[in-house]
Amino acid sequence: MILQLKDLFKWVNSGGQRIFLLNDIDFTVNEGEFISIMGPSGSGKTTLLNVIGMLDNFNEGEYTFLEESVHTLKEKHRAKLYKEYIGFVFQSYHLIDELTVYENIETPLLYKNYKSSERKAMVADMLDRFNIVGKKELFPSQLSGGQQQLVGIARALVSNPKLILADEPTGNLNSTQSEEIMELFKTLNRQGVTIIQVTHSESNAAYGSRTLHLKDGVIVNTH
Amino acid sequence: MLRNYFKIAWRNLIKRKVFTTINILGLAIGFSSSVLIYLFISHHLSFDTFHEDSDKIYRVTTEEDMGQIHRLATAPPGFAKVFREEFDYAHKVAKIVRQTNLIIDVPKANGTAKFKQDLSFVEADFFKIFNFPLVDGSHNVDISHPNTALITAQKALELFGQKDVVGETFVLNNDKTIKITGVLKDVPKTTFLNTEIFISFQNVKAIGNFMASESWGGITSNLQCFISLKPKQDIAAIETALLELPKKYRPRAKNKHIYRLQPLSDIHFNTDYGGLSPTFLIIFGVIGFFLISIASINFINISTAQAFYRSKEIGVRKVLGSLKQHLFWQFLVETFLISVLAAIIGIVVTALVLPAFNNLFELELSLKSLFEFKFIAFFSVLLGIVSLLAGSYPGILIARIAPVLALKGKLNAHDTGGAFTRKVLVVTQFSIAIILIVATLVISKQITYAVNGDLGFEKASVVMFDIPPKTKQTTLNTLKARLKNTTGIQDVSSCFGSPGAAENNWGITVKYNNRPENEAFSTTLKAGDIEYLKLFKIPVIAGRSFFNDDKTKEILVNEKFVKNLGLTSVEDVLGKSLQLQGQNTTIVGVFKNFHNQKFTKEIEATIITPHHKWYREIAVKLNYANTKTTLAQIDDIWHETFPNDIFEYRFLDERVAEQYETEQQYLALSKLFSGLAIFIGCLGIYGLILFFINQRIKEIGVRKILGSSIKSILTLFSIDFIKLILIAGVIATPIAWYVMEQWLQGYVYRTQLSWRPFAIAILSTLLLTLVTISYQTIKAAMANPIKSLRTE
Repeated sequence: MILQLKDLFKWVNSGGQRIFLLNDIDFTVNEGEFISIMGPSGSGKTTLLNVIGMLDNFNEGEYTFLEESVHTLKEKHRAKLYKEYIGFVFQSYHLIDELTVYENIETPLLYKNYKSSERKAMVADMLDRFNIVGKKELFPSQLSGGQQQLVGIARALVSNPKLILADEPTGNLNSTQSEEIMELFKTLNRQGVTIIQVTHSESNAAYGSRTLHLKDGVIVNTH
Repeated sequence: MLRNYFKIAWRNLIKRKVFTTINILGLAIGFSSSVLIYLFISHHLSFDTFHEDSDKIYRVTTEEDMGQIHRLATAPPGFAKVFREEFDYAHKVAKIVRQTNLIIDVPKANGTAKFKQDLSFVEADFFKIFNFPLVDGSHNVDISHPNTALITAQKALELFGQKDVVGETFVLNNDKTIKITGVLKDVPKTTFLNTEIFISFQNVKAIGNFMASESWGGITSNLQCFISLKPKQDIAAIETALLELPKKYRPRAKNKHIYRLQPLSDIHFNTDYGGLSPTFLIIFGVIGFFLISIASINFINISTAQAFYRSKEIGVRKVLGSLKQHLFWQFLVETFLISVLAAIIGIVVTALVLPAFNNLFELELSLKSLFEFKFIAFFSVLLGIVSLLAGSYPGILIARIAPVLALKGKLNAHDTGGAFTRKVLVVTQFSIAIILIVATLVISKQITYAVNGDLGFEKASVVMFDIPPKTKQTTLNTLKARLKNTTGIQDVSSCFGSPGAAENNWGITVKYNNRPENEAFSTTLKAGDIEYLKLFKIPVIAGRSFFNDDKTKEILVNEKFVKNLGLTSVEDVLGKSLQLQGQNTTIVGVFKNFHNQKFTKEIEATIITPHHKWYREIAVKLNYANTKTTLAQIDDIWHETFPNDIFEYRFLDERVAEQYETEQQYLALSKLFSGLAIFIGCLGIYGLILFFINQRIKEIGVRKILGSSIKSILTLFSIDFIKLILIAGVIATPIAWYVMEQWLQGYVYRTQLSWRPFAIAILSTLLLTLVTISYQTIKAAMANPIKSLRTE
């Protein structure tokens, strides 16, 4: 088991009313799974992903990540935890515009205090693996969407996370690029990386081993 | 990590060129001003610090009690000898007599060249007290014999055309031939000493027997006495011992002398003895602090506003595992980079403007001091503090941003730096700018009031020039008659000094109406002939003017004199006797008060009497005719009368204006720095308005589609700034009022503070801000709303 959410609630107060963003979520993820989260707009998919990624807080319930109770941790420890084990992939890639491909991939390593020589080896490995060595000196604006997302994934993977969280990773891509990315995820999953993705597309969801349907913050069914 | 910080900082700067330019420009101006101010202050602080044991060197001063205490940086001629012989406090004691405008004849291949020079007569020990070495670095000066002189290398070059002039001679005052026995290294600019030619004290007779004597009978400000004390002396004890000297050497003198020792370091900064007011330096320092603060505030405002643009990067970095301190330091590095760039530009700018700055303030600041350790230390600290102050607040704000919001671009004003903080900072900037503008206006008004106001005498088109010493009365009368007959000349008068010429003041004590004691107040003696009152248009309000005859011993007094006597009616003094300088005279008239001194000084009791022995200057009132020709004619007549002298003239209004040199410097400074302050402030506003427009570009689009006019959009954006400037005006007004009221208190005769400078300052600031805002706002308001409303 990699993580477990138990009786988890998240809400906001608006005009005297309590609006539930996540409503009584119970959810366990085991190592090696590839989970897709689906649901209509505003159903809480991204919120759930952010809570799992520890970028967002929740109001009630328990969250255990690799035997650690996330809800009792201080922010600093939480940051340490996700820094260590989680990689993020975004719909709009969120590469840093002022950094080159190489530097973007290198950034997470900087924050983990890897030595310069180690960083070099790890980034080179990633560039090799994704076949983008020739593009390492380019800036994000010089790449196509598919290539940018490739860099985004490489950046998420560079520090060998246990878990990849992908928020509509193919949302801004055309179908060919989309398929390539999903194939990549499938390969990664086979190599042992646990993946949770949020998606609108049934075909993308099909790459996963399990799909979670959300509606108004409630898990309506799992299959 | 650090390299990575620098890299991204650099790329960010390149990317946001406008904001980078605003930040760097503002800070560069701030740095440049700070450097100039530092140089200015350190220049003044370095006065006379280069002498060996300079803390043991003292100047003797005299306090004369004449109703009010007069402080003079001098001692009786006999003081030095007594101090040397009767006490055991001093290593060395030396007298120096300074004299201006003496004629020097230098032999040249074809005859001689004449120069008018300021010089000093010094005792040889002067060069044992002070560190003014010969060009070879030694102190073996030979100036104890009569007719010997020392000269600086620079002066030698000027007079003789070469530096090695040992053994050369010159003629002093068309009389004695003086031999140069040594060439001195150039005297530094940072010393009280302002002469470059030193003549043996044995020759001081040439300018007056009194100064050459060992008399205790009086004092003259030309003579100064310096002492280097033995180690570990108690100054208070010495001054107590000196209290006995007047009792012993001037037992019958009416005005009491008290002698004091003034430390060398005090000379440059003691206003009692003509020094510079230290407040001047403090004000200068405060202004420097203000400017760098305004620039830092710009930086803070623009950076916090920019956090909005950078939210995505910050969000991504947090997601990738960056901790708060990483982001904080990253931002600080960026600030530091900007500061360093600004500092480099600032120093380059300083180097470029330094000559102009020197010119403007008649300074001799040198760039050399930029390489001194002291400066490097000062500048590094300044750079560090500015980076830290300007960088830490935005850094903290940026580090605090929540990543989820940042990634969504859903940051509000609060997240990107409290709008309130920003408002406070803007108000601070503009309060400072308004205070500086008000100061400029008030100083300028006071100077105008003092220089162009009614001084009680006519100063327009009046030319003054010196009468050579020992001129015979007949020669003088012939000269005056010839001048009077020249076309273009209306009036001619010979006198001791014109009105408004404080440097030619002669303070005396008088005995009125055979009273038993001298009057307790000091009286200014303005010797002048019968034309004096007419030429300077000083009205006689009681009695009559005197006849042009020295022997009648008639005298005129001013209203203040009558008041000081304790009399109410000016008629009361007419026909009474007045004893001065051992002579009996009769008061025949009373003239109206005029301002002989600066407006900082109260009008003193003044008397005018004709006495040709006391005449030092000639005043000529010109007609409207061609001034140039008239002056050339005066020059000719002068040379025919005094073939061995040099003709130099001065206009009286310039002489009066010169009294306000310090004020003119204040004015130039406050003009410059208030201009810079408002410029930096507007730069900041420009940056902020750019940011606000970017932030609210959608709002502008929506408003336009809904039918809003450009004018109402402009109002929408400017109303906040107008409010801020009005608040700044409200805050600045009482502060500026208080400060300027304090400044004006220094003047006995002063202009009244009115609402006008305040209104002008606030309105001009408002106007400038509106102009700054308008361009960007109108551009945004005129843009096609479709562009701004298009979503990704």
